[in-house]
Amino acid sequence: MKRHVALTLGLMAVLSLIVTACGGAATTAAPAALPYQGVTVNVLTFTGPQIAEPLQRHGPEFEKATGAHINVATVPFSDLYQKALTDFSTGTNSYDVIVFDPQWMGDYVAGGYLEDLTDRVKANKDLQWDDVGAFFRDFSATYQGKTYTIPLDGDFQMVYYRSDLIKTPPETWDDFIALAKEYQGKDLNGDSKPDYGTCIAMKRSAQSYWMVSSIASAFLQSQGTGQGGFFTTDNLQPLYGPNEGFGAALDVYKTLSTLGPPDQLNLDVGDTRGLFTSGRCALSIDWGDIGPLAVDPATSKVQDKVGAVILPGSKKVLDRASGKLVDCDAKTCPYATNGVNHAPFAAFGGWSGAINKNSKANVKDAAFAFLAYVSAPAQSNVDVTIGKTGFNPYRLSQFKSRDAWLKSGMSEKATADYLGAIEASLNSPNMVLDLRIPQNAYYQGTVLDTAIAQFLAGEIDKDATMKQISDGWNKKTDELGRDKQLAAYKATLGVTK
Amino acid sequence: MKRSRYRSIFTPSPLGMAVTYVVLGVWAFVVLFPLYWLFVTSFKLPIDVNSGPFYIPFVDFKPSLHAWTYILVGDLRNDTFRTYRNTVVVSLASTTLALTFGSAAAYGLTRFKYQPKLGAILMFIGCVVLSIIAVVLGVPWQITVVAAIALFIILLQTIGKRFKRALGNNDIAFWLISQRMLPPVAVVIPIYILFQRLGMLDTWQALIIAYLAANLPIVVWLMRDYFQTIPIELEECAAIDGASYYRSFWSIILPLSLPGLVATFLFVLVFSWNEYLLALFLTNAKAQTLPLTVAAQNATRGPEWWYLSVLILIMIVPVIGMAIALERYIARGLLIGAIKG
Amino acid sequence: MSVAERTQGPALSESGLEAHSPLARLQTWLEASATSAFILHAVLVVLFLAIFPLIVSLYVSLSRLQFVPGGFQLTFVGLDNYAKLVVGIDREHFMGRFGEPHPIGWLFFGLVVLSQILLMYRYIRGGNAAVGGAIGRIVTASAITAGAWLIVHTLGPASRPGTVVVTLIYVFAGIVIQYTLGLGLAYLCIQQIPARRFFRVVFLIPMMITPVGIAYLFRMLADTTKGPVYPIWNILGLANTSWVSNPWGARAAVMIGDVWQWTPFMFIVLLAALESQSIEPIEAAVVDGASRWQIFWEITIPTILPVSSTLILIRMIEAFKIVDLPNVLTNGGPGTATESLTLHAYTIWRTLDIGGSAAVAYMLLFMVTFIGVSYANLIRQRLAEA
Repeated sequence: MKRHVALTLGLMAVLSLIVTACGGAATTAAPAALPYQGVTVNVLTFTGPQIAEPLQRHGPEFEKATGAHINVATVPFSDLYQKALTDFSTGTNSYDVIVFDPQWMGDYVAGGYLEDLTDRVKANKDLQWDDVGAFFRDFSATYQGKTYTIPLDGDFQMVYYRSDLIKTPPETWDDFIALAKEYQGKDLNGDSKPDYGTCIAMKRSAQSYWMVSSIASAFLQSQGTGQGGFFTTDNLQPLYGPNEGFGAALDVYKTLSTLGPPDQLNLDVGDTRGLFTSGRCALSIDWGDIGPLAVDPATSKVQDKVGAVILPGSKKVLDRASGKLVDCDAKTCPYATNGVNHAPFAAFGGWSGAINKNSKANVKDAAFAFLAYVSAPAQSNVDVTIGKTGFNPYRLSQFKSRDAWLKSGMSEKATADYLGAIEASLNSPNMVLDLRIPQNAYYQGTVLDTAIAQFLAGEIDKDATMKQISDGWNKKTDELGRDKQLAAYKATLGVTK
Repeated sequence: MKRSRYRSIFTPSPLGMAVTYVVLGVWAFVVLFPLYWLFVTSFKLPIDVNSGPFYIPFVDFKPSLHAWTYILVGDLRNDTFRTYRNTVVVSLASTTLALTFGSAAAYGLTRFKYQPKLGAILMFIGCVVLSIIAVVLGVPWQITVVAAIALFIILLQTIGKRFKRALGNNDIAFWLISQRMLPPVAVVIPIYILFQRLGMLDTWQALIIAYLAANLPIVVWLMRDYFQTIPIELEECAAIDGASYYRSFWSIILPLSLPGLVATFLFVLVFSWNEYLLALFLTNAKAQTLPLTVAAQNATRGPEWWYLSVLILIMIVPVIGMAIALERYIARGLLIGAIKG
Repeated sequence: MSVAERTQGPALSESGLEAHSPLARLQTWLEASATSAFILHAVLVVLFLAIFPLIVSLYVSLSRLQFVPGGFQLTFVGLDNYAKLVVGIDREHFMGRFGEPHPIGWLFFGLVVLSQILLMYRYIRGGNAAVGGAIGRIVTASAITAGAWLIVHTLGPASRPGTVVVTLIYVFAGIVIQYTLGLGLAYLCIQQIPARRFFRVVFLIPMMITPVGIAYLFRMLADTTKGPVYPIWNILGLANTSWVSNPWGARAAVMIGDVWQWTPFMFIVLLAALESQSIEPIEAAVVDGASRWQIFWEITIPTILPVSSTLILIRMIEAFKIVDLPNVLTNGGPGTATESLTLHAYTIWRTLDIGGSAAVAYMLLFMVTFIGVSYANLIRQRLAEA
């Protein structure tokens, strides 16, 4: 019985396909024909207004223009990675487009699940590829020299501070600690309750491992993006291991864990954003989201009291040969400003759209056209200024024209500060790429994250932490094949040299 | 008459009454305060949640309907109603089936003696292992299943009869409950592949079958105990009057164990109503259930407490309604005595 | 239905009714169909969804997953995933860090060993000793001793419990508290007092909230900087401390949530059991002048023992799988202090180390099966006989 229904449905589907195909062929002469009439594109992303809302908003517009129906399916954020990977790797192929984190590409490309978009990107005019920031174009969207995704969002970490309290933003991590110490326990929002020096998402299995990388990068990478901030490029030895550079970063992180709310070890970015925008913290490390959130009266008590600045740096950097910290000079820190080595960390990488290789050809065309439409300046330059969306700036034109920002409610100074910090990070030749080798989720999300959590909770000391991370990473590398992993690591770095 | 006998025994003294009320009141507060907090939070703006505890709307803070509109009429409207309908259908269907199959099996296990041959079971598992290996090696699964069944029957007919060792009812029951011992993370991928091969992903049926299998053991175990407390004499009398097993099961056993049935029903319903991991994997979009929407409110911006509160509230309302409606049946009590007396 | 093959006549195991001929004749008539029909669907459904995943995940736990063009590949690695947990890099995480136990720990350990020796002695002197039974008992005794050794060596001053011991703490502390509370509340709720129906319904509510939702709810409540307990916290002078940053505080927070959520389950089943007890023995006792306590201990408790033993077994099996509360409340932190075995498996699984995750899950399965079988054989039987 069920079988019959399935057969009938299948037949009907085939028939309707033939009909549409014939119809398409028959009506090509008519000028009114829409290019993707009758095509349905299934898009997968996570539930919530951040990404799904703009896609759902642009879907009907796109359908009107091209005839392709956009169907947005969502799953909870925390399970997006496994869900899409399970779907693709078992050949279920329920989705044509996934809007995901390009940091996961290592696994998706290794499995050959994603369509190579290199030629399409070159051919498409709406997209204005050159307008996309070089970092997103060459790193985020690209893996081993081929373009697989279209960026919809720009992500890296910055420091936010209360500009009404702090006049000189921190330049080094030592400055950051000094400022945090100064404001810890003081009332910062006029409710006569003691507030906090810094609010950092140190919760386990949340964002803590990106936060520690934001600190460590300044000590570990000084020779430009191509040097890599996670491993040595000769034999893939972990830099997150027993050496003075990582040790110094761990000291900073541990000190900061005492200069915040008492339950800082249990805060994720949702909590720290809430605390910061309600005026309870002097400093915070975060992605671009705080900018738009801080101007929204529904969420913020600190409108126009927020400054942003590139991640602090260090005056000493790691010498990889000896494992010791050395002073910055023209040779050790070629990109230093005022003798301080900044290494802005492109954590996560920014939400991007990718296309399933196994979808039908016309669906792939429609899917690409849709992603290009959403990413095109006309749409995205407005989307990035809406606080509700999770889209942060990633196009050059989004920095140049500030009208949309002012219109969204940001003051002149806040706009200049916010965009200035993003631009400074984005233009840094010493930007640190997030780790993108096969199974990087295990390296960071399991090994690094667990060790850092144990270190902060005092379960293990500094030396044990460094050893635990490097042992765990080396074990995984050997399991997966050191040469293969090294090649993948170098390939992700090579493209931006 | 029954009631009054009951009442005379279980009416406490005034002091006992006072103590009873205090204890029940304290626990009621423990239960209700978190719910009150949910209710208040659902009317708060993000800034009210983040800038400190506020307890009473209009006094401490200005309530806002923003979360309710977002869930019920705004962006999430379609998601909410679609997942709501799916949840209702899937949980009611799977619970009813689980209760039917499960109480029948429990009846069987308390009234008859089963003796599955150990050898037959081992042969069965052997056939399953062989067919999995065959599928891994690339044999189409349809052929494999048929071949495995054929092999099993042949084996059973030829050498199966020689095995002497058999298992008993308790072993069957323990085997059933042991199916719940493995955490779902370990089995979710194989189950996903199973339903994918059957072409049933993203359907109500897949979820109903999965929840049915997950809930059966609990139903069997709980109902077994209730059935055991029912004296066998009742069925004997019925059998003398010519009632079949089916009949005495349906018209004697089931009505008598109504409190147990209702308790079990509620428990199992709640499980399917709230299940997350299987729902995540066996659905893509159409058949998604409410727990997914709840869990999804913790995204890149951290938990959206106000949306979570609304969703949890609208999620428990129907189940509470059901609990109120069914509570009476649990409270029937002392029926066995009534019939015997 | 050849697996659960039926044999023999009316062997009503519980009450032994072999001799009643009308029933026996009827049974003969229906034998072929009825007895199997009652159990067939249940067994088939569970078979369909249990055997296959069980075998597959056993294989997965012995292999390593890699993504290769066109799909995925499982490489057989033998016991590597298990070795990692027991002797390899994940040992401290799984088993904990060993240290010299506290004197109380030694005392506890001594008591456990002594009780095992005593039980063994009684068994051998009891005269029914057989080789099979003796081996079973030796295995059980040594496993219990090993478990006690692990517990005292990881709960001492210089040591740290791994996910195994943390899970055991959740399960046993949780069950004891939930059962006691559930029974007490159920007993109070059968009293004939006004408004008891209100209480009955209210007490059921926590069970109905989705576990993920409860976890988030408790995260809101446990927040001492902006949650409802802030004023109390402040008055107590604790404004600068947080219970979720302290290992035992965080574990307590998880357990409070667990008790809140699962006491209703104990409550509802025990309530149904109390409601179904026969009234005659109680009436007789009242006539004989027995006190309330005597009736409760000597009549009510024995009646609900069978249901209680099942209830505890089911709850135990579910409790071993605790994951949502620690996952949402603390993500297993601070450090690994609140991480349960299922959360351990889930964290690894999320990063798609499916083999490692299945190995943790299987270790859990061994543990639960072992404890479940021991419980069913030793305690449940005794309870049912009592």
